[in-house]
Amino acid sequence: MSDYFEEMGWTPLRDGEAPNSFLHMARLLRDFGMWDELGLGERLPPPASKEAISNLKDIKFDGTCQQCTVCLKDFDAASSIKSMPCRHSFHNECITPWLKKTNSCPLCRYELPTDDEDYELYKKEKKRAVQREEDVKSLHNSMFS
Amino acid sequence: MANIAAQRIKREFKEVIKSEEVAKCAIKVELVNDSFTELKGEIAGPPDTPYEGGNFVLEIKVPETYPFNPPKVRFITKIWHPNISSVTGAICLDILKDQWAAAMTLRTVLLSLQALLSAAEPDDPQDAVVAKQYKEQPEMFRQTAKHWTSVYAGGPAKMSDLDDKIRRLTDMGIEEHNARVALSSYNWDLERATEQLFMTVMAKN
Ligand SMILES: [Zn+2]
Ligand SMILES: [Zn+2]
Repeated sequence: MSDYFEEMGWTPLRDGEAPNSFLHMARLLRDFGMWDELGLGERLPPPASKEAISNLKDIKFDGTCQQCTVCLKDFDAASSIKSMPCRHSFHNECITPWLKKTNSCPLCRYELPTDDEDYELYKKEKKRAVQREEDVKSLHNSMFS
Repeated sequence: MANIAAQRIKREFKEVIKSEEVAKCAIKVELVNDSFTELKGEIAGPPDTPYEGGNFVLEIKVPETYPFNPPKVRFITKIWHPNISSVTGAICLDILKDQWAAAMTLRTVLLSLQALLSAAEPDDPQDAVVAKQYKEQPEMFRQTAKHWTSVYAGGPAKMSDLDDKIRRLTDMGIEEHNARVALSSYNWDLERATEQLFMTVMAKN
């Protein structure tokens, strides 16, 4: 059996190590539903990171009649088309302003990484909370089945 | 208005007008002015809900930054629903806030609002009084919502017992809508609604 701290997802501080106040803040926000309380849940998530935006793939117009779902215009040979990792494609001039506002695909909400430390921590903590719940559930199931 | 916003609204207009929901009279969009910044929407109350038979008018304001920002939408037609303010018509719906995405259109917004009329989310209320009634007295809520639909949205139901109670208050000189709001908020308890109305009058004088 793993030890208590590991089980709870905690690591004790080592000598000379300072507590990570960002992490504590993120946990606080998650545990008490304060993310929404602060009105952060009302706003769109932060912009995609500069790196993620510049790494978007350019794709060539291949003649198949496809539409950009941001401006609702069809692509043509003159279009500069960018493809997201989820394979949804948009005009460069349509997807870039959107990703500078928020980090997800306008069509399927696939999330790109952001440069926002707090948001990334919040996201990671949320994911871990879900994971932990699943762990408890499967432990429960293995005990009572 | 920024070019991209106006151009997109024009394209969407064609899309909505061609859509099958319009053919079925379920949703409708109209221009209010020719700058495409303000539109009038209409949705039909979904079947098997207290809103059935009603026609609900919406104010739609399109920001300069559309579709990167959601349109601002509110109900013009008065409605009794946990996620819509019975006073201002303001709507609590995630896609009009943090769940907005640039690929959404006026059509998806109107269809989502129609879905909201079919399935309220009382745990994320816009109108706390309505939400409380929805959770604690579902039948009372249904009757009230149906009554509002018939009075304000042209719904078919006539509910004479509720109308009688309103008349009792209007006979005392209370304005009809205020009487309806007070009775709706106090589960149609005439005595408590009267008490509350006269306390408000006294506080104002
Ligand atoms: Zn485009
Ligand atoms: Zn996508």
